[in-house]
Amino acid sequence: MTDPHDQTGARRVFDILQEPDWFSGLSTREARLLDGALAFHCLARPGERIRATVLRTDGPHLPSLTDHGTQRIEWADDRRVVGTIEAHATGTPLPGHGVVDVVLDLGGPPEALMRLEQLPGRLHAARNAARGRAPVAFDVLRQLRTDRLENRRLSRPIPRVGRAENTSVGSSRGQTPAVLFGLHWLELGGAEKWAAETIGMARDAGLFPIVISDRPSGHPDIARPVFDDALVVPLTHPVPAEHESRLLSQLFERFDVRGVHVHHCTWLYQRLPWIRAQYPGTELVDSLHVLEWRTGGFVDIALRMSNVMDAHHVISPQLRDYLVDRQGLPREKVTLATLADLTVDPAAERSEPATGRKPGDPLTVAFVGRFTQQKRPYLFLRLAARLRDRLGDRVRFVVHGDGELATEVRADHARLGLAGVVELRGPGTPVAQTLDEADVLVISSDNEGVTLTSFEADAHGVLVVSSDVGSQASVVPTELLLPRAPLPFLRAAEDTVVSLCEDPDRAARLLVEQRAKVDAFAALPRARDWTRSLYERWAS
Amino acid sequence: MTTTNVAAVIVTYNRADKLGKVIEQVLAQDRPADQVIIVDNASTDSTAEVLATYEGRPTVHVERLGTNSGGAGGFAHGMSVAYERGADSIWIMDDDCYADPDALRQLLDGHAAAEASMGMRLPFACSVVRWTDGEICEMNNPEPTWDWGKLLVRGENAVLVNSCSFVSVLFPRWALTQFGLPLSEYFIWFDDQEYTRRITAAGPGVQVLRSTVTHDLGVNRGVNFGDVNDGNMWKFEYGVRNEASYRWHHEDPFAALRFAQRLYSGLAGGRVPWRLRRRLARKWLEGIRFDPKPAFPRTVL
Repeated sequence: MTDPHDQTGARRVFDILQEPDWFSGLSTREARLLDGALAFHCLARPGERIRATVLRTDGPHLPSLTDHGTQRIEWADDRRVVGTIEAHATGTPLPGHGVVDVVLDLGGPPEALMRLEQLPGRLHAARNAARGRAPVAFDVLRQLRTDRLENRRLSRPIPRVGRAENTSVGSSRGQTPAVLFGLHWLELGGAEKWAAETIGMARDAGLFPIVISDRPSGHPDIARPVFDDALVVPLTHPVPAEHESRLLSQLFERFDVRGVHVHHCTWLYQRLPWIRAQYPGTELVDSLHVLEWRTGGFVDIALRMSNVMDAHHVISPQLRDYLVDRQGLPREKVTLATLADLTVDPAAERSEPATGRKPGDPLTVAFVGRFTQQKRPYLFLRLAARLRDRLGDRVRFVVHGDGELATEVRADHARLGLAGVVELRGPGTPVAQTLDEADVLVISSDNEGVTLTSFEADAHGVLVVSSDVGSQASVVPTELLLPRAPLPFLRAAEDTVVSLCEDPDRAARLLVEQRAKVDAFAALPRARDWTRSLYERWAS
Repeated sequence: MTTTNVAAVIVTYNRADKLGKVIEQVLAQDRPADQVIIVDNASTDSTAEVLATYEGRPTVHVERLGTNSGGAGGFAHGMSVAYERGADSIWIMDDDCYADPDALRQLLDGHAAAEASMGMRLPFACSVVRWTDGEICEMNNPEPTWDWGKLLVRGENAVLVNSCSFVSVLFPRWALTQFGLPLSEYFIWFDDQEYTRRITAAGPGVQVLRSTVTHDLGVNRGVNFGDVNDGNMWKFEYGVRNEASYRWHHEDPFAALRFAQRLYSGLAGGRVPWRLRRRLARKWLEGIRFDPKPAFPRTVL
């Protein structure tokens, strides 16, 4: 059996003094988390022997790999010791005596971590209880707050870091050309999907991928082949301050870091001014996906850091307009390059419109997406209840997804008496099957960039009815855009679906319009092309 | 390097006789517009036949409105369509405006040069508007800023301005993103003044002296309240309501009172009949209650 360690790029920066036999008992995910943690501790203390005590648990606990807690040699009762291991950074003389002890907790298995979806604390419990009992009322208040924050945010300038005045000295010193990536975490998400793709592209261009993530997670995707032979450091916070600079400076000294590509990684964003000051020869770029009006999100962090960055890649026209028109970034610094082809091959034949259903067949209305607050599945269920009352058996519904609100969705489904009307489907069924059956896809999200599901739906000949958020207007006909506020959304969605059910000609006309919009959007520059040429330039 | 996608927007209503020449002049620019959007404001003459001859052209896009929304509504619609179609700059004009062959290029170059010289983004650039005899067109002479000669002394052929009319004016996309569209509720008159004044919150506009167009009006005369008569009363009614609204709500009540005083003097000077003066006074009062809010275009491409 191949030792999972042999597949990681972490071995470029540390050596294990003696390979323990318990290694083969680790899952690939655990082995890679351990490698990332050892890489961090060895780089943070080059020239020292790192003696790690490795723990795991069956409970719902996230890994602890690089934080202050790793320096304490005690642990909770439910942790089990997997084994111990000694390592040291490559390229430094091995000290004869003295070791630094760290305790690396690999956390619980991914199944156990699913139970962590609800944040702990009384406030969150109260919030979840309110949302569970009265989700629409909860959402009304939430959207009012979003409106207020949106107005406030647009009227206040976002502070910016100062420009680096002297950028004439310093450069990365290593031999191997590399790209430093910043990721949120290594699990499900549109931004993560794109990030993983860029890591593969960097490797194809001959650049060694170094990946830093900064959010607590079990990182289930770390086992994916795209991370083979990459140096992945999954940070857990708080990282001791002296270790942060040591980690980065060691990476820059050991590798020829040609560029930093930030994908939704707050920690790395906040260290860009330091990187620009110390290693001005390295290009700093990011990829931005969605405007988050409530928190500002990564777009605001990118704006704050823009003075020390070279380019921003955005995936939607809305983000381009926000950065260039509203925030005054130079147009040449912001590149719009879409992910229209990330899940759908634009060259592929489209399905014939499902609106060609036979007279008498019910109209199938679908929801496809994660069950999260952002996607608002509870609105779809209420829409289904209203439409059932109005259209009876002329309409049927499929809700396809899973996620942190799964329990609430099931409870709502029962409470609204939707058994037999709304079919619930989980990840066991392919999305393509649901889209093949659907006539109309309803997107009820309160925020989006551009939903990749819209492209998938269009490819299956499904008409998309969506809340008017993010850049949804880029791919959805104006007549099918709905207000974001929940009650107006329900009213407008109900009328729209009734009209589509009763007027197949209108549905057919709107599908033609939707296809024209999707085609125009697909004709915009592609993110893959932009990134490929960027990495080729970095590699040359 | 980035390229600028320019959309020309022509708003027309029952001007079939002049429209063809207006479109020809736009299509014949030495720096052609990437899109030419023609908004037909529900014309009842032979405009549709004129437009039919251009509809096959690759850059021409015709929008037909179901009802006449006035110049203000037509420009708001056309600018919104241009924005949705991804225009970086939007060049708008009336249906009796003949652009000289280099008008657009000069506007783009002049705007870019003025921005570089001022070190800031400027929200619009307008052309010099001539009447058919080559003199300045009185109705379309923009109002300069207090420091209007700033660019002239730097050797640039441009003047800083506070406002201008919608006869050959170029708006960068960001102005629409930040400030929205002209107020279609104004229907006609003062929509251009309100809009250009609104967007100068971001900085002055610039009149590019090398960019020239001809405005084919019947007579060369500016707006003068002494000219009010039964035939043109409907336009003045919109004009008074709109300007009173603007002065009251966007400047201050004293500005609205000064406008009332100017209105009174103008009407008195022209010996306008009292029944028309009373109607305009009522429109002034209506303006105080009238305060439409701008719509914002939607980002599509």
